[in-house]
Amino acid sequence: MGVIDVLQLIMAFVGSVCAGILFNVRKEKLFWTGLSGALGWLSYSLFHTATGTVIIPIFMGAVAVGLYSESAARLLKTPVTVFSISGIFPLVPGVTAYTAIQFLVENRLEEAAGKIVETLGSAFAIAFGLMLITGIFRFASRLREQKKA
Amino acid sequence: MKDRPEIKEIMDIALRTGKILLTSGAEIYRVEDTIARVCDSYGVKCENFVLPTGIFVSIKMANGDSVSEIMRIRGRNVNLHKIELVNTFSRRLREEPLPYETANKILSEIENTPQFKMHIRILAAGVWAFVFTLLFRGTFSEGLVAAIIGMLVYLIKSKISEIGFYEFLEFCVSGMNTALMSLLAVKLFPQMNVYKIIIGAIVIFAPGVAITNSINDALRGDIVSSLAGMGETVLVVTALGLGVGIALIAGL
Repeated sequence: MGVIDVLQLIMAFVGSVCAGILFNVRKEKLFWTGLSGALGWLSYSLFHTATGTVIIPIFMGAVAVGLYSESAARLLKTPVTVFSISGIFPLVPGVTAYTAIQFLVENRLEEAAGKIVETLGSAFAIAFGLMLITGIFRFASRLREQKKA
Repeated sequence: MKDRPEIKEIMDIALRTGKILLTSGAEIYRVEDTIARVCDSYGVKCENFVLPTGIFVSIKMANGDSVSEIMRIRGRNVNLHKIELVNTFSRRLREEPLPYETANKILSEIENTPQFKMHIRILAAGVWAFVFTLLFRGTFSEGLVAAIIGMLVYLIKSKISEIGFYEFLEFCVSGMNTALMSLLAVKLFPQMNVYKIIIGAIVIFAPGVAITNSINDALRGDIVSSLAGMGETVLVVTALGLGVGIALIAGL
């Protein structure tokens, strides 16, 4: 891993902390939301360099954010969304969505269509990544409850 | 059997809890879950139906009568701390059904929890824009310019919001402001890339929460709310894009 990657991780961290501030996460938890973003970006960039694609790395990024958020939520007794919403922000396809509209405005319709598909794909990848982990965690805790009973 | 005023009080607590969640940017399923859980803690069964713009709660009493209320919800933003506080509150209710006055007091406290101060939020908006410009391969100086523009646009948008304006026009104006300032910046520093600055500064307004929530709702089977969320996302992005487009055409 090069120096630039470390720099990007720090930036993903800072970006998620800023997202946390704008979404009014409590001060004591800002560090942990930042960590969520950094982990998500680490997973995304590892898979992005390995595969060269966009959607699957975003999915893996969301999986990392989900794993981290579910664990942190249990350890810190906080709703999962506090970590997941701020953490996925580096991955959210806001830029892609914006570029799509930009193309539409400039009448570059084919490129716009491509960007719209990419936006939807990325958004669904994030949601499915998070949902997958949430589902597994819930299933595991239900299993544990059943064993106790 | 519970008598009427008490049911009304439970209804009041449930509606207020739901309102705080919905106006703080919680997912619809979380709002519905929490309202049901609040009623359940007081030992009454309720049906509730939540839309992004309204809450419907109906409590069926033991004698067969039912009490229903509707609450219209206006003005939503994202405040994760309030969601967290409501979460703690509903857990506490489960352990001990608090009396009406205590519950109401806690809810008022939650409603009035302070946000971060304006200058800190503006600074966060600036740093966010800076970081994103660099993450998307902009140069250091482009990041700085994006940060300044991001802060200015965020400040202007908050001021407009305070006065009260149509939400989508706010986004349109923000897009326009961003693009105009970026064009101006490129006029001053011709070596910079105008698109990178615009994207870096505008990412603050990206409707990431709306789209994530809406897909979460869709996966849990709440089709109406998820479509509403997707509609909101599309409208916000369109308004931003339109604003930028107008400014770019005017700047040519």
